[in-house]
Formats: sequence, structure tokens, C-alpha cells
Amino acid sequence: MKINVSQQQFSHGLSIVSRAVSSRSTLPVLSNILIATDEGRLRLSATNLELGITTWIGAQIEEEGATTVPARTIVDLVTALPNTSVQMELDTTTQTLNVVSGTSNTDIKCIDAQEFPPIPTPDLKEGIELSVAEFKQNIQQVGFSASSDEARPILTGVLMTIEGKDVSMVATDGFRISVKKSTLSKAGPTGVSITVPARALGELARVAVNAEEKITMVLPKSRGQVIFHLKDVELVSQLIEGNFPDYRAIIPQSFKTRTELTTESLLKACKQAEIIAREGTNVAKVSINPTGENQPGKIELSATAEQTGSSEITVDASVDGVPLLIAFNVRYLREVLEVVSTANVSLETNAANTPAMLKMVGDDSYMHVIMPMHLG
Amino acid sequence: MVRKIMHLDLDAFFCAVEELQDPSLKGKPFAVGGLPESRGVVSSCSYAARQHGIRSAMPMGKALHLLPQLIIISSRHAHYSDYSDKVMQRIHQLTPLVEQISIDEAFLDVSDMPEDGAFLAKQLQTRILQEVGLPCSLGVASNKLVAKIASDVGKAGHRGVEPPSSITVVPPGEEARFLASLPTQALWGIGPKSAARLADLGIRTIGDLARLPERVLLDHFGKMGPELHRRALGIDDSPVNPSAGTAKSISNEHTYDKDTREEETILKSLRHLSEHVGGRLRHSNLAGTVVQVKLRWADFTTLTRQTSLPCPTDQDGVIYKTAAQLFQKVWREERYAVRLVGVGVSGLVPAQRQLSLWDVGLEKEHKLLKAIDELRERYGEKIIQRAEEMEQRD
Repeated sequence: MKINVSQQQFSHGLSIVSRAVSSRSTLPVLSNILIATDEGRLRLSATNLELGITTWIGAQIEEEGATTVPARTIVDLVTALPNTSVQMELDTTTQTLNVVSGTSNTDIKCIDAQEFPPIPTPDLKEGIELSVAEFKQNIQQVGFSASSDEARPILTGVLMTIEGKDVSMVATDGFRISVKKSTLSKAGPTGVSITVPARALGELARVAVNAEEKITMVLPKSRGQVIFHLKDVELVSQLIEGNFPDYRAIIPQSFKTRTELTTESLLKACKQAEIIAREGTNVAKVSINPTGENQPGKIELSATAEQTGSSEITVDASVDGVPLLIAFNVRYLREVLEVVSTANVSLETNAANTPAMLKMVGDDSYMHVIMPMHLG
Repeated sequence: MVRKIMHLDLDAFFCAVEELQDPSLKGKPFAVGGLPESRGVVSSCSYAARQHGIRSAMPMGKALHLLPQLIIISSRHAHYSDYSDKVMQRIHQLTPLVEQISIDEAFLDVSDMPEDGAFLAKQLQTRILQEVGLPCSLGVASNKLVAKIASDVGKAGHRGVEPPSSITVVPPGEEARFLASLPTQALWGIGPKSAARLADLGIRTIGDLARLPERVLLDHFGKMGPELHRRALGIDDSPVNPSAGTAKSISNEHTYDKDTREEETILKSLRHLSEHVGGRLRHSNLAGTVVQVKLRWADFTTLTRQTSLPCPTDQDGVIYKTAAQLFQKVWREERYAVRLVGVGVSGLVPAQRQLSLWDVGLEKEHKLLKAIDELRERYGEKIIQRAEEMEQRD
């Protein structure tokens, strides 16, 4: 292999794939990045066997070939190189990659590309087309509700179901649920129900930078994988096996109090309360006071931390129903408000120990259910 | 403004409670604590016992050696905390500015009251003796440091089988003079090691310490130096903090009758202790974020290991799992005969738990523990036990 690439493009490509490099693996080749010539371009791939990312960059190819380079070494080296062209030549007998740029000349010991796990190629004809802008927003609105606790793998994923044109995405960590519904421009298959690791979707949102583009999602038959294809990037992820909890049964069907207020004012109040609450148990008490004949409705957030102090914030709101004192993990409230895309939100509540529902006013594509905290 | 601070300390508290229960103990040498067979220590001893050189924290075996006819009474903590509550209620009726520092000690800030400090101290002492039946000693001064030392000095000067019931007043302006002749170790922050270092410099009394230039203290004690200098002069601005009195940690220990090297036995003790600690946390509506394990080898080397939890817990299972992991980590590296094990939880916060959308096991565990706690409260500790802890019956 003998190639010439631009330092800038190479560095950018490496930053895209290096997120899939395995940090602790017993298989040495998984700490490496595959570099291979591929139909006039240079292909870079990394995988930790759960998540694989591939990207293609432009290159002048003098001689075809492939190898795998230790990720940390090549990433750090290329970052440190001047912004000119980088020449690379592989000595196949010793698997040594010679990297030359400006006055710098580096030899890196590599591992044979044959040892790199095969990365599947998607059959794009079978794919489901998604808009980058929309899908990224969907990921943002549900992904944070997924669990990070590896003890229950199914909850670390996002449930995606597709019925023709209707797509729904759901994530829950057992304390809150986000549900997002969207519509495809071209009808997809029916009866699709998969759980994709939230981490993989997070990486997809990170690498899909061009909002105008389309993402093609492919589900290779009986492989337990999903592939997301973009113009220059492909991301493959293992699906999570197991039964996703039946979230429909948990979503409250009615409410006793409905509070409507501006997203911004509630988010600000949460951020202020969190400054105190995070020093203690993260609890914010929310006192909901209905709109009366002569008085406007309001909600009061309060937080106390023994060592730090206490805070109280009052927010004007339109409140219908009965008064209620309920407590939430204020971080949960803040996280959902940060992804809400409408100017107003509604909070529907029943009792201090039953789930509350947060919705976007004027947009019923999104629901967030949040379980309160029990005050001892 | 000159403050008026009182330090109240109940006299031989556990023993005084036992005497109330059994008046025949009055005047006799007795000690409350663990039995010598199980290598217990003296928690509290009567003034009659003290005349024979018996002190609290002394191994019970040694106490018996000093006085073979010593009467030993096992501690009954629930009892003592009831009496402590009664005393603290009376104190709180005098002023809300109360900082309880232990089951039998508290600071009071009575600066706002027109009466003279000595008068208020006498009045409170009489009331506690008449209404609760317990003797206590008080120190009165312009700050916490001197008030505490004053009550200690008052008690220490006492001789005889009767409780000291002393009241020691240090008038404002007299602080430094009052402290001057006392040994340096009487000051907060000076333990045996610092005292030895000071003695090497020829400093034996607080007065010596006060005369030492601040620079010298800075050289020897770093940042602590200037503070020690202030303390030696009897200066202390720390307020009486009513919320500081709440427990900072909850822990339980077990001393084996015979040192053990059996991992299974130790794990069993850890489970038992975790259940105790969990029960106490739930009883006080608290949860903690730090779990600590204490191990004492046969040669009295003591080590503690601790770890933080992602969220506060009051659950026996979580405490045990964490404690067992901490213990096993030590056990993999060093194994000696174990004399004592302990489990503690600190980083205490009010128990507020995140409810789950569906039963993820945590809620079940919570309900189970609640039921067990209620049973134990009503019928006693042994009403429900783990099968592995039950004694075999034929």
C-alpha cells in the first residue's frame, strides 16, 4: 500500500472512527484502526464488536493495500503533523507503516488487516430512508432517558418500531420514559421492532453533521445488527436482545392537574434549583397552585441541601385542577426540558407518588413520563 | 457582644440510668458494657468503680482484674436514648440554640437571656435532676472551647462515690488564665502525637503554648499552627450549630469471642451488621452514600476501607453487598485472624428515594424491609431472622 492523503481530511476521518475503538480489549486488533484502499478512496474503520464505524476520505493511491494501525499512535501522530499532505507506505513483510509528512518520518508497527473483524456491507435497496435533521432530533429527545446501567442491557437501548410510514422511538431507565413518534417520507416495512444501543445512536447523531443528507437504515436479515449509511460514513451496531418493557401500560391515561407554562421559564427554574439540589439528594419539591378567580396560577420549586443552603423559585403558570406538592429529581426535569422544541410545555399530574407526564404544547409527537421521588 | 455558652455533660450517663432502674446499685462499683467472655469493653462505669482505677473504653477483662467484685451490666441502648431524649427536651425548652454532640453532651447558646450564666446552669441542672432523675455537670464560658474544657475540669476535680454535679464558670476575659496551667492535650486538635511533639519543644501546658510565637507553631504545625495559638489563648468563634448535632454516620461493630479466619463467618457478621445499620438508618429516616468496613486483626491493627455509592441507600442488601466487596478486596491481599468487624454508613441525607415506573426489585425489597422493621419493633429483634442465622433445633 502506498498512498497520499491530506492531513486535515485524515485527521477528521480518524476522529470519526476512533470513537468505536475498543478501550479495553483482549483482542489487540480491536485497539487498531483499519486503513484500506477502497475504489479510489481510503477507508478507515474501527470496531469494538458492538459498534463499528467506517468512513471514507479522498486519497491519491499509488498502490492498493490494507493494514491496521494502533489507534492512539496514529490519531496522536496525525494531529501533531503539519497541515500538508501525508504519505504512507506499508512494508507488507514486516507490517510496518511508514508515515512521512514535511520533515517528519515515523515507522509504526501494525497488525495484518486479515485479522480485523469483517464489517458488513449494507444492501441499500432494502434500506429505510430517514432525514438526518429529524432523526437527530428524535435521538436527542429520547436517548437521554436510556439507562447507563449495564446490569439491565435492554434498558440501555432505544426501542424503534416501524409500521409502514409510522416510526416510534422509546427509551426508559425505569424512572422516566421518552416516546417520540415520527413519519417517514417513503413507507418502510411493517412489523419492525428493534432495540438499538443508545450509545450507537448518540454516535450516529455525532457523525451525521450534514442536516440536508439522508440516512439509510438497513437491517440485514437475521444478523442481529443495524447499519446506518450516510454519504461518507457507515455505522453498524449490534441490536440488544430481550424484551423491552411494556411501556404503554405505564403511560398515565388521565390527570387531575394540568399545568402549562413556558419551557424557558421552567428550564431556568430547574437550573437554579439544581445548583442547590445537586449538593444533596437532587430533589426539587414542586408545589403546584391552581389559577384562582383573582389570582394567577403558579408553581414553586424548592431545593434544600443541608451543607449548602436552600432555594425557592416561583414561576407563573396556567394551572387547572387540584393543588399538589410533588418532588422530582431535578436533573430529570432539566434534561427533558432541554430537548423540548416548543415554546410551551404542559405538566400533567395526579398524585405525589404516581407518574407525571410532560408534553410539548402544540406538538403531540413527543411524550415524557417521569416518576416522582418519595419524600421520607 | 460577649456570648454566654454552656456545655452540659451527663454524669456517668449509662450508669445513672441503670441506677434509676435498680436503686440497689447506688454507691456500688459497677460497669455498663460488653461481657469479658466476649471481650467487651467498659462503656460507662460508676463513680465507685472509678475509685478503683476503672475507666471507660478499658477492656472489661482488665476492669475485672482491677476489681473482681465489679458488677457488670450489659448495655441497653434503646433505654439510654429514651432518657437522652428526655434530657434534650428540657434543654430545648431553655433555648432553641442547642448543638447535641453525643447521646449525653450538648452545647447551649444562652447569650440572649438576661440571667447570669451560672444561675441558668444551676437551674437547668436542678430541673434535669428533679424531672428526669439524672445528674449532670456544666461548664459556662464565652465560647464552646472554653465551656467544654470548663465542664471537663469541673468533673475531673471530683472525688468520691457521688456524681460530680459540678458547675464551672469561666468569666469573660479570664479564658487564657483559666487554660494556662492545663496540659496541652486538653485543647481540641491536640492528640497524644501532637502533645508529644510539643513536649519535645518543651511545651507542656496551654500557657506554654500561648507564649510560643505564632511563627514557631506555623513551622511545626503548618496551617493548623495559628489556630492552635488562638485556641491556647481561649479564643473560639465557632457558633452553636443546632443542625450539626445530627448523626454524621451510623455504624455497628462485632467483636468475636475467639479470633476468626473463616471468610464465611466474617461475611455472616457483615450481613448481620449491615441489617443493623440499615434498620437504624430507616428508623431515623436517613440514607447514606458512603459504606465503610472496619477490620481489627488479632494484634489490634485496625484498618478501614470505604467506598461511595452512586445514590444514597438505606437498604440492607446494598449495604451488605458493598461491605462484602470492600472486605473481600482486603481479604485477597492480607489475611490475619480477625478480632473485630464493623460496618458503617456515612454521608447521611434525608431518605428520599426515586420511585420506579415499574417494580424493578428495589420497591419489593423496600416493602419487605419495612415489614421486617415493623415486626422487630413490635416483637423484638429475634422474631424474624435469616435461616442461616437460626440455631438448629432437633
